[in-house]
Amino acid sequence: MDVRFSREGNTLVVMIEGEIDHHTASKVRERIDSKFLMEPVKNMILDLSGVTFMDSAGIGLIIGRKSRVSLVGGRLSLRNPNPDIRKLLRVSRMEELIELDA
Amino acid sequence: MQPINRMKTEFLSKSANESFARVVAAAFAAQADPSIEVLADIRTAVSEAVTNAIIHGYGDEEGIVVLSCDLYPDYIEITVEDFGKGIEDVEKARTPLYTTRPDLERTGMGFTVMETFMDSLEVESEVGKGTKVRMTKWLKSR
Repeated sequence: MDVRFSREGNTLVVMIEGEIDHHTASKVRERIDSKFLMEPVKNMILDLSGVTFMDSAGIGLIIGRKSRVSLVGGRLSLRNPNPDIRKLLRVSRMEELIELDA
Repeated sequence: MQPINRMKTEFLSKSANESFARVVAAAFAAQADPSIEVLADIRTAVSEAVTNAIIHGYGDEEGIVVLSCDLYPDYIEITVEDFGKGIEDVEKARTPLYTTRPDLERTGMGFTVMETFMDSLEVESEVGKGTKVRMTKWLKSR
């Protein structure tokens, strides 16, 4: 599991690589939240192109980051979710709540 | 009907074993040559069931989780069992978005994901004794 960051204006881009499950989610969450606090940004993009597996722990991670970003009036969006992740979002009824970054 | 193949493994309720369990189940199912989508569904459902056993079955305690797979000509039956706290109200636990652990950012979607990704789901639980989740998945298109 690896998390890398870059900035696009006032947006923090988070590149997640590897598998997101209950075991890995807490570390990913801590890394993202501390980076978001340190950077002068408002919005967040979670780039999921490097995610090879995700279960509902990933949904929790996404929803949690959306809440955190909303606290500062920002927006969260997902970039490059694969078909398996899209299916999970649909099943979890989160597809309409989460913005996709085209 | 007798299964054409069977496997059973047990492991400690450590979160590091979530990936072990889903990979083992999918590798066992792969001998029937199902589609990649079917294997992905099995991986996800097993991950949810094992995570539930670890978080809700045992919590801070450590215990044993048993994963077994029975392969039939057209489908696989997967069982995930723990011997932990058990679930007081299974119907409530299966309600979408119901969670007892929002502190862990749990979404309460575990059973819903299992139900949707697999073709059947049965949950047996007894408080103080543990929980058994039995799921089946068709491996060939019908």
